[in-house]
Amino acid sequence: MSVSRETFESQVLGLLGRLQGVARRLTRNDTDAEDLVAETVARAWRALDTLEHEAAFRGWIFRILNNTFLDECRRRGARPRFEPLDCEAPEGDEEQQFSIFEQMHQPFLLWFSTPEQEFLDKLLREDLERALATLPECYRIVVILSDLEEFSYAEIAAALGVPVGTVRSRLARARSALQKILWQQAKDIGLAAEAPAENECSETASAPRATAGRRKKGEVT
Amino acid sequence: MTKHEIDCEQALDQLIEFVDHELPEGKHSAMQHHMRACKSCFSRFEFERRLKEKLGTLRDTEVSSDASERIKRLLKSF
Ligand SMILES: [Zn+2]
Repeated sequence: MSVSRETFESQVLGLLGRLQGVARRLTRNDTDAEDLVAETVARAWRALDTLEHEAAFRGWIFRILNNTFLDECRRRGARPRFEPLDCEAPEGDEEQQFSIFEQMHQPFLLWFSTPEQEFLDKLLREDLERALATLPECYRIVVILSDLEEFSYAEIAAALGVPVGTVRSRLARARSALQKILWQQAKDIGLAAEAPAENECSETASAPRATAGRRKKGEVT
Repeated sequence: MTKHEIDCEQALDQLIEFVDHELPEGKHSAMQHHMRACKSCFSRFEFERRLKEKLGTLRDTEVSSDASERIKRLLKSF
Protein backbone atom coordinates (compact mmCIF):
# COMPACT_ATOMS: atom_id res chain seq x y z
CA MET A 1 0.00 0.00 0.00
CA SER A 2 1.37 3.36 -1.05
CA VAL A 3 -0.04 5.48 1.75
CA SER A 4 -1.04 4.54 5.26
CA ARG A 5 -4.57 4.35 6.55
CA GLU A 6 -3.91 7.43 8.70
CA THR A 7 -2.71 9.38 5.67
CA PHE A 8 -5.75 8.32 3.67
CA GLU A 9 -8.07 9.45 6.44
CA SER A 10 -6.42 12.78 6.98
CA GLN A 11 -6.30 13.49 3.21
CA VAL A 12 -9.98 12.64 2.83
CA LEU A 13 -11.02 14.76 5.79
CA GLY A 14 -8.80 17.62 4.63
CA LEU A 15 -10.38 17.59 1.17
CA LEU A 16 -13.92 16.84 2.29
CA GLY A 17 -15.24 20.37 1.84
CA ARG A 18 -13.83 20.62 -1.65
CA LEU A 19 -15.04 17.16 -2.64
CA GLN A 20 -18.48 18.08 -1.35
CA GLY A 21 -18.43 21.44 -3.15
CA VAL A 22 -17.49 19.92 -6.50
CA ALA A 23 -19.96 17.06 -6.02
CA ARG A 24 -22.74 19.58 -5.39
CA ARG A 25 -21.96 21.35 -8.66
CA LEU A 26 -21.90 18.11 -10.58
CA THR A 27 -25.12 16.68 -9.14
CA ARG A 28 -26.85 20.03 -8.45
CA ASN A 29 -28.39 18.43 -5.41
CA ASP A 30 -27.22 18.12 -1.76
CA THR A 31 -28.38 14.55 -1.14
CA ASP A 32 -26.90 13.21 -4.36
CA ALA A 33 -23.70 15.12 -3.62
CA GLU A 34 -23.36 13.47 -0.21
CA ASP A 35 -23.96 10.03 -1.73
CA LEU A 36 -21.44 10.76 -4.45
CA VAL A 37 -18.76 11.75 -1.95
CA ALA A 38 -19.41 8.68 0.21
CA GLU A 39 -19.24 6.38 -2.81
CA THR A 40 -16.06 8.13 -3.97
CA VAL A 41 -14.37 7.65 -0.60
CA ALA A 42 -15.37 3.97 -0.52
CA ARG A 43 -14.05 3.40 -4.04
CA ALA A 44 -10.88 5.33 -3.29
CA TRP A 45 -10.19 3.13 -0.28
CA ARG A 46 -10.62 -0.02 -2.37
CA ALA A 47 -8.38 1.41 -5.10
CA LEU A 48 -5.71 2.69 -2.76
CA ASP A 49 -2.93 0.68 -4.42
CA THR A 50 -3.49 2.69 -7.63
CA LEU A 51 -2.31 5.82 -5.82
CA GLU A 52 1.38 6.18 -6.55
CA HIS A 53 2.37 8.69 -3.91
CA GLU A 54 0.75 11.02 -1.45
CA ALA A 55 1.47 14.14 -3.52
CA ALA A 56 -0.85 12.81 -6.23
CA PHE A 57 -3.73 12.33 -3.79
CA ARG A 58 -5.84 15.30 -4.81
CA GLY A 59 -5.82 14.60 -8.57
CA TRP A 60 -6.34 10.90 -7.87
CA ILE A 61 -9.40 11.26 -5.65
CA PHE A 62 -11.02 13.88 -7.86
CA ARG A 63 -10.59 11.49 -10.76
CA ILE A 64 -12.48 8.86 -8.77
CA LEU A 65 -15.14 11.45 -7.96
CA ASN A 66 -15.57 12.35 -11.62
CA ASN A 67 -15.69 8.70 -12.74
CA THR A 68 -18.13 7.79 -9.99
CA PHE A 69 -20.35 10.65 -11.08
CA LEU A 70 -20.27 9.54 -14.72
CA ASP A 71 -20.97 5.92 -13.72
CA GLU A 72 -23.91 7.02 -11.64
CA CYS A 73 -25.32 9.07 -14.53
CA ARG A 74 -25.08 6.03 -16.80
CA ARG A 75 -26.59 3.74 -14.22
CA ARG A 76 -29.62 5.97 -13.85
CA GLY A 77 -29.88 6.37 -17.57
CA ALA A 78 -29.58 10.08 -16.96
CA ARG A 79 -26.51 10.53 -19.07
CA PRO A 80 -24.71 13.82 -18.92
CA ARG A 81 -26.21 15.97 -21.63
CA PHE A 82 -22.92 15.81 -23.46
CA GLU A 83 -20.70 12.79 -23.32
CA PRO A 84 -17.01 13.65 -23.01
CA LEU A 85 -16.35 13.10 -26.71
CA ASP A 86 -18.82 15.81 -27.65
CA CYS A 87 -16.59 18.26 -25.87
CA GLU A 88 -13.95 17.95 -28.53
CA ALA A 89 -14.07 20.78 -31.03
CA PRO A 90 -15.60 19.97 -34.37
CA GLU A 91 -12.93 19.77 -37.07
CA GLY A 92 -11.75 23.19 -38.18
CA ASP A 93 -13.59 24.93 -35.36
CA GLU A 94 -10.52 25.73 -33.27
CA GLU A 95 -10.62 29.43 -34.10
CA GLN A 96 -14.29 29.94 -33.31
CA GLN A 97 -13.69 31.16 -29.78
CA PHE A 98 -16.32 33.42 -28.28
CA SER A 99 -15.05 36.34 -26.24
CA ILE A 100 -17.13 38.87 -24.33
CA PHE A 101 -14.12 41.15 -24.44
CA GLU A 102 -14.18 41.16 -28.23
CA GLN A 103 -17.92 41.76 -28.24
CA MET A 104 -17.73 44.76 -25.98
CA HIS A 105 -14.33 46.33 -26.05
CA GLN A 106 -14.24 49.69 -27.75
CA PRO A 107 -10.66 50.75 -28.23
CA PHE A 108 -11.61 54.30 -29.21
CA LEU A 109 -13.77 55.07 -26.22
CA LEU A 110 -12.82 57.63 -23.65
CA TRP A 111 -10.38 56.29 -21.14
CA PHE A 112 -12.89 56.19 -18.29
CA SER A 113 -15.29 53.99 -20.18
CA THR A 114 -14.47 50.29 -20.36
CA PRO A 115 -17.75 48.51 -21.08
CA GLU A 116 -16.26 45.04 -20.67
CA GLN A 117 -14.99 45.88 -17.20
CA GLU A 118 -18.37 47.38 -16.29
CA PHE A 119 -19.96 44.19 -17.51
CA LEU A 120 -17.85 42.26 -15.00
CA ASP A 121 -18.71 44.71 -12.23
CA LYS A 122 -22.41 44.10 -12.83
CA LEU A 123 -22.14 40.31 -12.93
CA LEU A 124 -23.76 38.83 -9.87
CA ARG A 125 -22.93 35.61 -8.13
CA GLU A 126 -26.28 34.22 -9.34
CA ASP A 127 -25.40 35.04 -12.95
CA LEU A 128 -22.18 33.08 -12.66
CA GLU A 129 -23.85 30.21 -10.82
CA ARG A 130 -26.54 29.95 -13.47
CA ALA A 131 -24.06 30.10 -16.36
CA LEU A 132 -21.87 27.46 -14.74
CA ALA A 133 -24.85 25.18 -14.14
CA THR A 134 -25.84 25.55 -17.81
CA LEU A 135 -22.45 24.40 -19.11
CA PRO A 136 -22.20 20.84 -20.42
CA GLU A 137 -20.68 18.53 -17.78
CA CYS A 138 -17.34 17.98 -19.48
CA TYR A 139 -16.83 21.73 -19.74
CA ARG A 140 -18.20 22.43 -16.28
CA ILE A 141 -15.73 20.10 -14.62
CA VAL A 142 -12.65 21.79 -16.14
CA VAL A 143 -13.90 25.25 -15.19
CA ILE A 144 -14.64 24.07 -11.65
CA LEU A 145 -11.25 22.43 -11.26
CA SER A 146 -9.30 25.30 -12.78
CA ASP A 147 -11.14 28.45 -11.72
CA LEU A 148 -12.83 27.38 -8.48
CA GLU A 149 -10.48 24.73 -7.14
CA GLU A 150 -7.31 26.27 -8.59
CA PHE A 151 -5.94 22.99 -9.87
CA SER A 152 -2.92 23.13 -12.16
CA TYR A 153 -3.30 21.76 -15.70
CA ALA A 154 -1.30 18.71 -14.63
CA GLU A 155 -3.68 18.05 -11.74
CA ILE A 156 -6.73 18.49 -13.96
CA ALA A 157 -5.15 16.08 -16.45
CA ALA A 158 -4.74 13.55 -13.64
CA ALA A 159 -8.27 14.14 -12.39
CA LEU A 160 -9.83 13.64 -15.82
CA GLY A 161 -7.41 11.03 -17.14
CA VAL A 162 -6.56 13.07 -20.25
CA PRO A 163 -3.31 14.60 -21.55
CA VAL A 164 -2.34 18.13 -20.46
CA GLY A 165 -2.80 19.38 -24.04
CA THR A 166 -6.41 18.23 -23.92
CA VAL A 167 -6.94 20.12 -20.67
CA ARG A 168 -5.62 23.28 -22.30
CA SER A 169 -7.85 23.05 -25.35
CA ARG A 170 -10.89 21.93 -23.38
CA LEU A 171 -10.46 24.83 -20.96
CA ALA A 172 -10.24 27.25 -23.87
CA ARG A 173 -13.50 25.91 -25.30
CA ALA A 174 -15.15 25.74 -21.88
CA ARG A 175 -14.37 29.38 -21.15
CA SER A 176 -15.56 30.37 -24.58
CA ALA A 177 -18.82 28.48 -23.98
CA LEU A 178 -19.19 30.02 -20.53
CA GLN A 179 -18.71 33.53 -21.90
CA LYS A 180 -21.26 32.83 -24.59
CA ILE A 181 -23.81 31.82 -21.94
CA LEU A 182 -23.02 34.84 -19.77
CA TRP A 183 -23.33 37.08 -22.80
CA GLN A 184 -26.66 35.59 -23.78
CA GLN A 185 -27.97 35.94 -20.21
CA ALA A 186 -26.85 39.55 -20.12
CA LYS A 187 -28.47 40.32 -23.44
CA ASP A 188 -31.71 38.68 -22.30
CA ILE A 189 -31.97 41.07 -19.38
CA GLY A 190 -30.74 44.03 -21.37
CA LEU A 191 -27.45 44.31 -19.52
CA ALA A 192 -25.22 44.01 -22.54
CA ALA A 193 -25.13 45.18 -26.10
CA GLU A 194 -22.50 44.74 -28.77
CA ALA A 195 -20.08 47.56 -29.29
CA PRO A 196 -21.62 49.85 -31.90
CA ALA A 197 -20.18 49.62 -35.37
CA GLU A 198 -17.39 52.06 -36.11
CA ASN A 199 -19.52 54.48 -38.15
CA GLU A 200 -22.13 54.77 -35.43
CA CYS A 201 -19.74 56.16 -32.89
CA SER A 202 -18.14 58.96 -34.82
CA GLU A 203 -18.46 61.29 -31.85
CA THR A 204 -16.51 58.94 -29.61
CA ALA A 205 -13.99 58.21 -32.33
CA SER A 206 -13.02 61.88 -32.39
CA ALA A 207 -12.77 62.04 -28.62
CA PRO A 208 -9.29 62.11 -27.11
CA ARG A 209 -7.65 58.72 -27.21
CA ALA A 210 -6.81 57.00 -23.98
CA THR A 211 -3.32 57.78 -22.88
CA ALA A 212 -0.98 54.95 -22.04
CA GLY A 213 -0.27 56.24 -18.55
CA ARG A 214 -3.84 56.11 -17.28
CA ARG A 215 -3.41 52.92 -15.33
CA LYS A 216 -0.52 51.67 -13.32
CA LYS A 217 0.86 48.87 -15.40
CA GLY A 218 3.33 47.53 -12.96
CA GLU A 219 0.60 45.55 -11.27
CA VAL A 220 0.47 42.67 -13.66
CA THR A 221 1.09 39.47 -11.83
CA MET B 1 13.86 44.59 -29.46
CA THR B 2 15.29 41.66 -27.57
CA LYS B 3 14.73 38.02 -28.39
CA HIS B 4 12.32 37.84 -25.44
CA GLU B 5 9.82 40.26 -26.96
CA ILE B 6 6.59 38.88 -28.31
CA ASP B 7 3.90 40.42 -30.49
CA CYS B 8 0.16 40.68 -29.83
CA GLU B 9 -0.66 37.52 -31.71
CA GLN B 10 1.74 35.46 -29.63
CA ALA B 11 0.51 37.20 -26.49
CA LEU B 12 -3.12 36.34 -27.22
CA ASP B 13 -2.19 32.75 -28.05
CA GLN B 14 -0.69 32.34 -24.60
CA LEU B 15 -3.21 34.45 -22.73
CA ILE B 16 -5.16 31.61 -21.13
CA GLU B 17 -2.03 29.92 -19.89
CA PHE B 18 -0.74 33.24 -18.62
CA VAL B 19 -3.97 33.84 -16.69
CA ASP B 20 -3.71 30.32 -15.29
CA HIS B 21 -0.04 30.72 -14.32
CA GLU B 22 0.88 27.78 -16.52
CA LEU B 23 3.62 29.36 -18.62
CA PRO B 24 7.26 28.47 -18.01
CA GLU B 25 9.33 31.23 -16.44
CA GLY B 26 10.78 32.71 -19.65
CA LYS B 27 7.46 32.92 -21.48
CA HIS B 28 5.77 34.23 -18.35
CA SER B 29 8.14 37.17 -18.06
CA ALA B 30 7.88 37.87 -21.79
CA MET B 31 4.12 38.10 -21.29
CA GLN B 32 4.50 40.39 -18.29
CA HIS B 33 6.75 42.58 -20.37
CA HIS B 34 4.24 42.70 -23.22
CA MET B 35 1.36 43.49 -20.84
CA ARG B 36 3.26 46.46 -19.48
CA ALA B 37 3.85 47.78 -22.97
CA CYS B 38 0.58 46.94 -24.74
CA LYS B 39 -2.63 48.50 -23.53
CA SER B 40 -4.84 46.40 -25.76
CA CYS B 41 -3.51 43.03 -24.57
CA PHE B 42 -3.44 44.28 -21.01
CA SER B 43 -7.17 45.14 -21.15
CA ARG B 44 -7.92 41.72 -22.53
CA PHE B 45 -5.79 40.11 -19.83
CA GLU B 46 -7.51 42.13 -17.11
CA PHE B 47 -10.89 40.99 -18.33
CA GLU B 48 -9.95 37.30 -18.34
CA ARG B 49 -8.14 37.58 -15.02
CA ARG B 50 -11.08 39.25 -13.31
CA LEU B 51 -13.58 36.78 -14.72
CA LYS B 52 -11.46 33.92 -13.39
CA GLU B 53 -11.20 35.67 -10.04
CA LYS B 54 -14.99 36.11 -9.90
CA LEU B 55 -15.52 32.44 -10.67
CA GLY B 56 -13.08 31.63 -7.88
CA THR B 57 -15.40 33.27 -5.36
CA LEU B 58 -18.05 30.64 -6.15
CA ARG B 59 -15.92 27.94 -4.58
CA ASP B 60 -17.84 26.49 -1.74
CA THR B 61 -16.42 24.12 0.82
CA GLU B 62 -19.30 23.86 3.20
CA VAL B 63 -19.88 20.43 4.71
CA SER B 64 -22.89 19.79 6.87
CA SER B 65 -22.12 18.04 10.16
CA ASP B 66 -24.30 15.11 9.02
CA ALA B 67 -22.26 14.65 5.86
CA SER B 68 -19.05 14.92 7.80
CA GLU B 69 -20.22 12.37 10.40
CA ARG B 70 -21.21 10.01 7.62
CA ILE B 71 -17.71 10.11 6.08
CA LYS B 72 -16.06 9.66 9.48
CA ARG B 73 -18.19 6.59 10.16
CA LEU B 74 -17.34 5.27 6.71
CA LEU B 75 -13.61 5.75 7.30
CA LYS B 76 -13.86 3.85 10.61
CA SER B 77 -15.56 0.97 8.83
CA PHE B 78 -12.58 0.34 6.51
ZN1 LIG C 1 -0.41 43.31 -27.45
